[in-house]
Amino acid sequence: MLVYIARRVLLMIPTIFLISIISFVAIQLPPGDFMTSYVAGLRTMGENIEQEAIDNLRERYGLGQPVYVQYIKWISGIILRGDWGQSMEWQKPVKDLIGERILLTVVLSLVSLLVSWFIAIPIGVYSATHQYSILDYVMSIISFIGVGVPGFLLALIIMYFAQTRLNLNVGGLFSQEYINAPWSVERVIDMLKHLWIPVLILAVEGTAGGIRTTRANLLDELNKPYVELARAKGLSEWKLIWKYPVRIALNPFFSTVGWSLASLISGATLISVVLSLQTTGPMQLRALTSQDMYLAGSFLLILSVLTVIGTLISDILLAWVDPRIRLEK
Amino acid sequence: MKKLINRREFLRLSALTAVGTAAAACGAQPTPTKAPEPTAVPAAKVEPTKAPEPTKAPAAPAATKAPEPTKAPAAPVSQYKEAPMLAELVKAGKLPPVDARLPKKPCVFPVQESVGKYGGTLRRAFSGVSDRWGPTKFVDRFWVWYDKSLNLQPRIIESWQVTPDAKTWTLKLREGMKWSDGKEYTSDDTMWWYQYELQNKKLNPAIPSQWRSAKTKKIVKLEVPDKYTLKFTYDDPKPLFLYGIARSVAGPNTPSHYMKELHEDTTSDKAKLAEDVKKRGFDSWDRYYLDFAQYWYANPERPFLGGWLAKGALSKELFIMERNPYFWAVDKEGNQLPYIDKITHRLFENAEVLNLWVTNGEIDFQNRHMSVANYTLYKQAEQKGDYKVLLGISAGHVAIQLNLTTKNKLLREFFNERKVRIAISHAINRNQINELVFNGLLKPRQYSPLPMSPNYYEKLSNAYLEYNPDLANKLLDEAGYSKKGSDGIRLHKDGTTPISFVIEGTDQTGTPTEDAALLVSKDLAKIGIKATYKYVERALYTQHYESNEIEAAWWGGDRTVVPLASEAPIFRATMIDRPWAPAWGLYYMDPNNPNAEEPPQGHWIRTIWKIWDEEVAVEPDPQKQNEAFKKILDIWAEELPYIGILGEQPALVIVKNGFKNYLPGMPIDDTTADEHLLHTETYFWDDPAKHTT
Repeated sequence: MLVYIARRVLLMIPTIFLISIISFVAIQLPPGDFMTSYVAGLRTMGENIEQEAIDNLRERYGLGQPVYVQYIKWISGIILRGDWGQSMEWQKPVKDLIGERILLTVVLSLVSLLVSWFIAIPIGVYSATHQYSILDYVMSIISFIGVGVPGFLLALIIMYFAQTRLNLNVGGLFSQEYINAPWSVERVIDMLKHLWIPVLILAVEGTAGGIRTTRANLLDELNKPYVELARAKGLSEWKLIWKYPVRIALNPFFSTVGWSLASLISGATLISVVLSLQTTGPMQLRALTSQDMYLAGSFLLILSVLTVIGTLISDILLAWVDPRIRLEK
Repeated sequence: MKKLINRREFLRLSALTAVGTAAAACGAQPTPTKAPEPTAVPAAKVEPTKAPEPTKAPAAPAATKAPEPTKAPAAPVSQYKEAPMLAELVKAGKLPPVDARLPKKPCVFPVQESVGKYGGTLRRAFSGVSDRWGPTKFVDRFWVWYDKSLNLQPRIIESWQVTPDAKTWTLKLREGMKWSDGKEYTSDDTMWWYQYELQNKKLNPAIPSQWRSAKTKKIVKLEVPDKYTLKFTYDDPKPLFLYGIARSVAGPNTPSHYMKELHEDTTSDKAKLAEDVKKRGFDSWDRYYLDFAQYWYANPERPFLGGWLAKGALSKELFIMERNPYFWAVDKEGNQLPYIDKITHRLFENAEVLNLWVTNGEIDFQNRHMSVANYTLYKQAEQKGDYKVLLGISAGHVAIQLNLTTKNKLLREFFNERKVRIAISHAINRNQINELVFNGLLKPRQYSPLPMSPNYYEKLSNAYLEYNPDLANKLLDEAGYSKKGSDGIRLHKDGTTPISFVIEGTDQTGTPTEDAALLVSKDLAKIGIKATYKYVERALYTQHYESNEIEAAWWGGDRTVVPLASEAPIFRATMIDRPWAPAWGLYYMDPNNPNAEEPPQGHWIRTIWKIWDEEVAVEPDPQKQNEAFKKILDIWAEELPYIGILGEQPALVIVKNGFKNYLPGMPIDDTTADEHLLHTETYFWDDPAKHTT
């Protein structure tokens, strides 16, 4: 087991290195550079900027240099000095920018992930064991709607509803007066007033998918001979279901830990954009569209590292949960 | 018309009297008569000159500080009044008294409705650091600024003088004017900027055109005869000198006592500076200086002259600006400005959230990001949100640019035919587009200066507007394009190629402006011209016009309020993102540009350039300058290089009820700081206590 993990960790290094090159180059593939999109953005808002000034800026940001020079500058900064470079759009070190937003992002994603698992698994199990019962139909309909309705649309609807019917103020995670306030009971209460909207939306999305997966997988397992045998041997139904088939039915959850880890940071981007949440998702999206290379590159790098680590974790988890999986060749 | 005369008279006087003096609009004494607005505002509901502060602020006429008349009997009578929050600081000994904070002769800002009350917060929204113009346009004004009639008036400076040849500008600073940290602002500050910033090769690899002579390219000469006088001398006439700096904010207004420590040549502690550069994530000192250190909004510690100061970082969710206790202007009753305590800008990621904030009454004053398409939405929620939607007039136009220098030879021949351009203009059903797409809110007009502009020229604004497809067809026939293919599309002069071109634009599918483009293309089909609108991503669009690979473009036109301030780049074809003749425009700016192309001898565009170079850009007399510019507009009215469709688009300004001293109907353009043409420092809340979050 240890050898296996060590081998995987060693393999991760060239993988991440390759990903970093590809992502850095990919960011630069669209025509133009940060300055082009910056200037175009200014002009659509009716701002005036002289060509001379643009050329000076481009020079200053080193945008005229070849891609590999920019890449080496960036990656060596990260490896040698832990310096992720500076965001051109925000005029701030990338490290600080991501650091400021990461806590809220992880809290939000983690809460919604857990909420959706805690709801999805029991309902999925119930649906599978009571296939074609009325409740199964009801759950299926609800979960199909959940899978079918895009999160951002749901976000818009809930936001509109919350504002017009419940008279809540929406957008962001705090009311304006609490944004810069120090942590206090009132601030937490204010946050909870806002947090339920994204959690609800994210949970609906995650739960719906989770119910479908659990149900389908469990149905496959329930007809297998070992279930029959266990039942024949007189094992109690509760213990039988939860101890054997459910464990196997949950494999997909564990094999997706790899992505879940990355989505802790980039997850729910679209919903965060719609709800104006100050999480890392919208910042990442914006960095990509404005070709803010160092910020976008850093995000992609972090995400790929998390994905690679997550994949390793999910492999280990799978081996642990499902005894049929062997690590040896 | 009256405006025009005022402005001309005013500026001619300054030019004629050998070393004419500019009026002191911000006069010596805070008396109402000095206010530069000659007539009362027609639209304003002037509150009948009532005593401004019945309850809260320092109402007692001669009370020194703060609202406790009994406690300060021995204090000397103060000439000026101040905000309660500052009075408290003065009382606590943390701030010098208001009279000592103001310059000897403070600038007197005219108020649009009435003298205001102190206090309150103004809530606005922005979309991040790259959208810093929300906050900065609110405060960034320089030595001079426009009055309501679009004439420049002294602001930070007390007065200016210009020699008749327009080569030497002498500015008088205000004695005793303070930076926001209490240090005096003198000519030394500007001199330091001139020596260490302007002439520093790292900070300014090339001297910006504002600070060099047009022909000799030599840097302007700055002399400072005394602490309060700046004298700029150019080799060539520089009549547009003041326009060029109306909105800049760093540059010559540099707090040298602070900035010299952040300058690598003058700092006393190089190691500390290098450390700070690194800590803030900059890889070079010049980037640190240019992108961070010199701007008040990025670097809150930098002393500033604006009405409000940055508190906290711009990259956060809420950007707060708080009043500058040393602000150097007062109203006519001697109250130190600004009235409002705090301005906040809240970050949004998505326009829908902003719209919900607006309709929920969480935005107090905003024009930026308020789309005309949402007019009904905003209107419907007026009552619930406790605000009003006021209308300003946007400088933008809906227009097509036919590329007169397109690489397609047949098309180029076609576009360069004057009759063709006029035919296209007559073929467009402007009223229909206005009704169908814009609810009739716009006005049919060509791209031209707005009616309130000193350069308004009716002949151009109304040229060839009439919808007349018959005339259009006749003109095309006359121009030699009478032959049609079997599909009804006219043929080029080679007799075989159908006339077809692509209009590129960055308006995406489903936007109103894209709808308008589609209607235009239908109108053109009716006269046998195939014009297809194509959405292109903006970076691609940029590449296309820069390399002259564009046939026609769908990009509006602005800078029509004070066109001379931005040196009328669209009228001279030098602003090539409106590509009506990009190859020629590039030639004019730099003949060596690989995409540049010399226009034919005797072409009217050469006349435009000649008038600009030899008459407008050297003419010190503003009246003659405008007359000369009119000649350019006249060429436009004859030749119609740009097909304007609609303009005078209403700009929506959300104004919370109880917000005062803002007038509707103002022009909204980049040059005049969008919705902030009037003095933002005079805005106030009718009931400040209600607006304190």
